[in-house]
Amino acid sequence: MAELSDIQNQTIQDEIEEYLERADEIERFTELFARVKPAMQDIAAAIIEGDDDEVDALTAKALENGIDAIEIMDDGLIAGMGIVGIKFRENFVFVPEVLSCARAMRAGMAHIEPILSASGIESQGKVIMGTVKGDLHDIGKNLCIMMLRGSGFEVIDLGVDVAEDTFIDAVEESGAKVLGMSALLTTTMPNMGRTIEAFIDADVRDDVLIMVGGAPVTQEFSDDMGADGYGADALSCVAMAKELIASAA
Amino acid sequence: MSEVQSMTSRERVMAALAGQPVDRTPVCCPTSVATVELMDLVDAPFPDANRQAAPMARLAATAHTILGFDSVMPVFSIIQESSALGCKMQWEGKDNWPTVRMSEPIWDSVDDIYIPNDLTSHPDTQCVLDAIKLLREELGPDVAIIGKTMGPWSLAYHCFGVEKFLLLSLDDPEATKAILEKLKKVTIDFGIAQVEAGVDALTLPDHATGDLVSGEYYQRYLRDLHIEFAERIPCPLILHICGRTVDRMGFISETGMAAFHYDSKNAPEESMQTVEGRIALVGNINNPETLFSKGPEDVKAEVFANLDAGVQMIGPECAVPLQTSIANLRAIPEAVREWHAAH
Repeated sequence: MAELSDIQNQTIQDEIEEYLERADEIERFTELFARVKPAMQDIAAAIIEGDDDEVDALTAKALENGIDAIEIMDDGLIAGMGIVGIKFRENFVFVPEVLSCARAMRAGMAHIEPILSASGIESQGKVIMGTVKGDLHDIGKNLCIMMLRGSGFEVIDLGVDVAEDTFIDAVEESGAKVLGMSALLTTTMPNMGRTIEAFIDADVRDDVLIMVGGAPVTQEFSDDMGADGYGADALSCVAMAKELIASAA
Repeated sequence: MSEVQSMTSRERVMAALAGQPVDRTPVCCPTSVATVELMDLVDAPFPDANRQAAPMARLAATAHTILGFDSVMPVFSIIQESSALGCKMQWEGKDNWPTVRMSEPIWDSVDDIYIPNDLTSHPDTQCVLDAIKLLREELGPDVAIIGKTMGPWSLAYHCFGVEKFLLLSLDDPEATKAILEKLKKVTIDFGIAQVEAGVDALTLPDHATGDLVSGEYYQRYLRDLHIEFAERIPCPLILHICGRTVDRMGFISETGMAAFHYDSKNAPEESMQTVEGRIALVGNINNPETLFSKGPEDVKAEVFANLDAGVQMIGPECAVPLQTSIANLRAIPEAVREWHAAH
C-alpha cells in the first residue's frame, strides 16, 4: 500500500492530508499519485491551484517529452480535478475556485483534445446535455460537460433554456443513450419533470436514460419525477453517465 | 378552534419585522407566490404582470385576497432593474419566468458601468412603482406591501455574467469591490423610489448563496454594503439569499436588516440558534419537493416545524414554481392559524 511520502509533489501531499477525509478516497488518491509520473503530479497540483498558465506550460512540456496525451489527461488533468471535486463536495472550495480550476483544465485540454481527435480513439458513449426551459444558468452544466469530455464521452451541448421538443429531437436524431438535464432554480426544476413527461407522451421514453442535476435538485426530487439517475456534482455526473451507458449496453 | 386577532395584517408584519410581539405569526411572501392558477383567476398573466402596473397589482393582490397571506409582493421576478440597466431580456410567456440573457453580458469591466438617469422611470421599474400605488389604493392600510430591490451581487451576475463575475471575484478582489460599490446606487435608488411609492418593507435579494460562494465571501464583499443599505434605505429590509446560508447567517445577523428570508436547505432550529435573535427569520417552506410536489398536510408539517423553532414569519423559501397549487399555498396560513389555536 502506498504512503503519502511516496508522492513527490508537496502540494498533492498537503491536499490529500488536509482535505480528504474518507478512508477510501485517501487510499485511492494516495495510490494514484504515488503511481503516476512526477510531471503528472505537477500538472495535477497546478490544476488544484487553478493556475492555467502553469497547466498550459506543463502540459506542453509533457507532450514534448513524449508523454502520451491520454496519460496526461488521466493522470494529470482529471486526477487533479478529482481532488477539486471532493473539495467542492465537502465545501472546502466553492464555485469561483472550481471555475478557476476548470479554466486551468481547459488550458491543458487545448493541447490534448486535438491529439485525441486525430487519433480516433473510441468514445465512451454519446451524452446529450442541456439546461431546462426557462433557466439560463450553465456553469454547472458546463463543468459536467468538461468532465464528461475529459473522461472520453462525446457530448452534444444543447445549451440553456432548452425546450422539451428540442431534447426529444436531439435524442432521436443523435441516437444518444444518455440525456443530462440541469436546473439551478427551484422555479425551473419542475421543467425537468415536464420534459420527462414529454418523452413519455411522445412514446420515446425508453429510447434514452435521463440523469438530472443542479444545485437545488435532490435524489428525492429526481426519483419523484422519474429520472434514471441523479448527480450532485460534475464528478457524480461522470460516474452516473458511465453507469447509465453500461446499463444501456 | 377559535382565534382572537387583534392586529391587522400590516400591523402583524411590521411588528414581526420590528421584533415586537404579534397576535399570531404573520404569513409573508418576500419573493413571489404568483402562479398560473392565480393569473387565470384575475386575468393577469405573465409577461404582462411583469411589465404593466394594473395586471401586476391584480396578481400581487391575490396573495392576500385569495391565499390569505398578510403581505403582498408586486415584483415577482428579479429582473426589473436589470432591464432598466439595458440587459438583454427574455420576457417569456405565461408559464415561464422572465430572465436576463446572462450569456450576453452588457458590461466587461467596472469602467463600463453606466446607471441611466431613467433607472426608476424606465417602463420596467416605473410599472413597479405604479403597481405599489394601485395596491395601496385597492387594499387600503391593513395589508403589508413589500417591494423588492436587487442587491449589487445579483445585479453583477446579470450585467457581467455569472461565470465572469465569479472568476473576477477570485482573480481581482479590488475590481470586484469597485463593481459592487458602483452598483449599490441601483439598489438604493430603486429601494427609496419604492418607499416613496408606499411600500412598508423591501426584500433585498443578493444571491451570494452557499451553493456558489463561501461564507467568507459574504463577509468580505457584502456585509458592509448590506449594513449601508440598512442605514440608507428608510424601511425594514428583508435580505433574501437562496440555498445553504447557515454558514453566513452570523454575518447576516450583524447587518441591521430587519429579517432574513431563508431556504429550506437550512434547518429552522439551527438557523434560529445561529442568528440568536439578532435578525428575524422568514421562510422556509420547501418549493420543489413540498409546495410543488406534495399536498397540504406536508406543507403544514413544514410550517409547524418553523413555528416550533420560533421562526418569526412563515412563507415559501423563494419564488414558488408557477404551477404550484392554490390549495398548497393556502395551507400555509391555515397551518399558522391551527398552530396558534393549539398553542
